[in-house]
Amino acid sequence: MQITVNGNQHEIDVEDDMPLLWILRDELGITGPKYGCGIAQCGACTVHVEGIAVRSCQVRAADIDGEITTIEGLGQPDALHAVQSAWVEHQVAQCGYCQSGQIMQAASFLDQNDDPSDEEIDSAMSSNLCRCGTYPRIRKAVKTAAENLRSA
Amino acid sequence: MIKVFTFGSCLLAITNLACGAQTLTAENKLNEFPAGSVTLEQGLASWQIFYEVASHPRCSNCHVGSSNRPMWSGPSYGKTRPHGMNIKADESRIGVESVPCATCHVTLLQPSENANTMPHTPPRVTAPWALAPVEAEWFGKSSSFICNQLKDPERNGNRTIADVASHLDHDRVLQWAWNPGGNRQSAPYSLQMVMDALMKWSAAGTPCPSE
Repeated sequence: MQITVNGNQHEIDVEDDMPLLWILRDELGITGPKYGCGIAQCGACTVHVEGIAVRSCQVRAADIDGEITTIEGLGQPDALHAVQSAWVEHQVAQCGYCQSGQIMQAASFLDQNDDPSDEEIDSAMSSNLCRCGTYPRIRKAVKTAAENLRSA
Repeated sequence: MIKVFTFGSCLLAITNLACGAQTLTAENKLNEFPAGSVTLEQGLASWQIFYEVASHPRCSNCHVGSSNRPMWSGPSYGKTRPHGMNIKADESRIGVESVPCATCHVTLLQPSENANTMPHTPPRVTAPWALAPVEAEWFGKSSSFICNQLKDPERNGNRTIADVASHLDHDRVLQWAWNPGGNRQSAPYSLQMVMDALMKWSAAGTPCPSE
């Protein structure tokens, strides 16, 4: 089957029930999305399908329905996405393992709501776990990213 | 600013769940029972069958009110509590404003027998996961409340009881209740029995139990 990841088409030969996360990491070598729990309870594997955040551990090959974007395709080192810039500005990451999922979740959320309240941010980000406890910085960075997106 | 967005083949919007337009084949039979052929006692017994299903966690967990928060209740969850991870399905009832239900409850493109075998994973079906409409609040409600609610056109989508019974056979999320997978307890009876119970209840004049 063919899938499009970060604008590039790939021909893959996998079982129908292989999770997208496995396809990305093991078949395509795209390792930004991380394996955390495998049961959609941590958010580390979050990517976008047609711009919407999905847990790639839950998307089987047979259910891929659109273009996929991973952290590698969200922005580029010389042209960061607003969420990535805000993450750098607030030095959000500690160990960093969950952060690609956090950023992908935030980017999808802000695409729907670019002026969120703290409560709305907490609501949108609570299903992405961070064992380092960077949540206060995540909330600040989401607010900064929202401001930057609105003024862009 | 909240935008409308598309997910898969369905249009998701704040006030509308346009995926109801999907074409699905009825799998059960809508059996007719002539008016007057079912006694009051039989009608109340038929209602009881429906109530046992409506109040079962497989159904009631997503038939919540204006909190817009799905529930986790039933034997597989232990203590009754709101859906973990601070999940709110919001006014859209599909989570557009925060985390779309479909972020984890991924929409299957084709039916699959083994999509929901692993305990603690988010169930997936061939339709977008969603809360029931807020008017169809069942969680924690009495049999009498739900009975009067279900026959009220203002709260049942302006449907006859036959329409309601037929509607049940066209909702993939609802059908999952009888094949939930993982360690989840199935809803009681069967969808065919529930449809028949509704039709018998209708033929008996939709009697409701007293409080």
